[in-house]
Amino acid sequence: MAWNEPGKPGQDPWGGNRPPRKDSSTDAVEQVKRQLEGFLGKIGQQGQGQNEPGSVPEGLGLGVGVGVIAAVALALWLAFGIYIVDPAERGVVTVFGAYTQETGPGPHWNWPMPIGEVTKVNVEQIRNAEIGYRSVKNVNNDVTGESLMLTQDENIVDIKLSVQYNIRNAANYLFTNVDPDNALREVVESALRDVVGKNKMDFVLTDGRTQLVAKVREIAQEALDSYKAGIQITSVNLQDAQPPEQVQAAFADVVKAREDRQRLISEAEAYSNDILPKARGQAARLTEEANAYREQVVSRAQGEASRFISILSQYQKAPEVTRQRMYLDTVEQVLGSSSKIMVSAKSSGQMMYLPLDKWMQDDKSGVPATPNMNALPESSASSASRSAPSLRDNLRNREAR
Amino acid sequence: MSLLRNGFSTVAGVLVIGLSMSVFTVNEYERALKLQLGQVIDAEYDPGLHFKLPFVNNVVKFDGRIQTLDSEPERYLTLEKKNLIVDSFVKWRIADVQQYYTSMGGDVRRANLRLSQIIKDGLRAEVASRTVQDVIAGDRAQMVEAIENAARAQAKDFGIELLDIRLKRIDLPKEVSESVYRRMEAERIRVAKELRSQGSEAAERIRADADRQRTVLLAEAYKEAESLRGDGDAKATDIYASAHSKNSDFFAFYRSLAVYREAFKDKRDVLILDSDAEFLRFLRQPSGK
Repeated sequence: MAWNEPGKPGQDPWGGNRPPRKDSSTDAVEQVKRQLEGFLGKIGQQGQGQNEPGSVPEGLGLGVGVGVIAAVALALWLAFGIYIVDPAERGVVTVFGAYTQETGPGPHWNWPMPIGEVTKVNVEQIRNAEIGYRSVKNVNNDVTGESLMLTQDENIVDIKLSVQYNIRNAANYLFTNVDPDNALREVVESALRDVVGKNKMDFVLTDGRTQLVAKVREIAQEALDSYKAGIQITSVNLQDAQPPEQVQAAFADVVKAREDRQRLISEAEAYSNDILPKARGQAARLTEEANAYREQVVSRAQGEASRFISILSQYQKAPEVTRQRMYLDTVEQVLGSSSKIMVSAKSSGQMMYLPLDKWMQDDKSGVPATPNMNALPESSASSASRSAPSLRDNLRNREAR
Repeated sequence: MSLLRNGFSTVAGVLVIGLSMSVFTVNEYERALKLQLGQVIDAEYDPGLHFKLPFVNNVVKFDGRIQTLDSEPERYLTLEKKNLIVDSFVKWRIADVQQYYTSMGGDVRRANLRLSQIIKDGLRAEVASRTVQDVIAGDRAQMVEAIENAARAQAKDFGIELLDIRLKRIDLPKEVSESVYRRMEAERIRVAKELRSQGSEAAERIRADADRQRTVLLAEAYKEAESLRGDGDAKATDIYASAHSKNSDFFAFYRSLAVYREAFKDKRDVLILDSDAEFLRFLRQPSGK
């Protein structure tokens, strides 16, 4: 970059500090310069020529006056060529309408009007374009014509985008497109519809968001580059991707249905989680009970067997006596605890009346006094012997008659 | 002296005016034509300072930047005779200034009008050869390419370079949009119903599976329990048998006694005894005879 030295050209504009010239405009400038030099030179010569004889002092004064005024005017005019470029800006410099260079931040000099011109462009500033809505004082107003678009499956979706961009090439931004900002809007809108039209609605509204945005950015940037718009898209943000307002209720219902499905499944799982452990418990009880039964039966068998064997061993020592004793023991117990009637076989000719049912009834009234009736044989035997006397009396009475 | 000075300033004045009339600048974004008595004598100008003859030459300048032709959305018929609203825009710029000047008179609006007619014709033909689905989802670039090629040749005659044609909006007409909404709604209802039914289905499956598992669990437990009981019974039987077989006669006696005891333990059990019974013999006779 050629640095023009500000101020200095004001002192000596025709010196070696001229800004570098390019292309055909160089000739033109050269020509103008030569002409101007010639013109000024003549004035100077004339002034001097008049001055030398010293005949007319006013002439000298006038000549000097004109020269000074012209020089001051020239210096002033040239001083107008000083300009300062802010850090965020770039200066686009033209001389006679032709672009010569782009200047960075700092003070610079260029030919003042009408020869030169400097347009300052802010290249750092992030500009924003809104597609599908316009925010006015933080309130977003929908532009449905822009935001509603067709998807591949001929559904309509409502999409709002915001695009951030800055200027990459100030000269291109100024000189190649009539309205670069509008070109960006159009290109983005076109790219968005292109991408949405190639995808299904479900994809656009759910998983495809990031992919969609990346693709839009890619297509739009490519187009802008082909126009040499000098614009760099820094980000494309999906503000909103929704079904259109008219069908949102139905869409919301699908979301609810999805939740319902999950709820039903969870409820069923809860049921399953409820009954299965219980069933396992029940199963465990069944097997444990069976286990207990087995142990019980085996133990009892062992017990009874060992009892039998013990008795057997005693019995074998004196079989007859033991047999007799056991028999009588049993008879004692049986007869002791039950009612009995003795009938003589010799008086078989007579008919006997036995009011069995009556005894039964009597017994019933007597039973409550012996609640341990159904208990183990030993205890029942003892209780039976307690209630026995009345019966025996009964028998005795009969016999006495 | 004053005459001389006046003469000098007059000369200077005339010089300046003459100079200003014989130069012209072409801006970076401009294209220029130099006319001489109505005839184009030069059209190739770079940006910068240029000269002309005062009064004789005439300079016309045009905007050389890329212009946008954004025509109004229009209805087009597709292959299946359905209406589609298509909105496109065209990027163009002046390629040949001289031709542009002679054919369009340098009027941008006129150029846009002519261009839009060409594009519309192209679009109409392209849309008519495609179905709605193809227009919406098909390759836009490919569709536009054909129009571009046709339009480019024609635009060249106007001195215009056609850079790009892009389709912006492809929409269904408003009345069709309504039925699309209805269809979308029906579609959503279908999905919602399906989801709910899927939920019921899955829930039923889970419940049935749980019930099955429970039944199987219990049955298996029953099986095991029975076999355990059987095992126990078998062992017990074995134990009894091995014990009893030591003296089966005594076992019969012993066991019978136990049964008697158990059978007649209640007062309600009535025994009718024959006085001739063996065990009552002492009751009859002390000698037992």
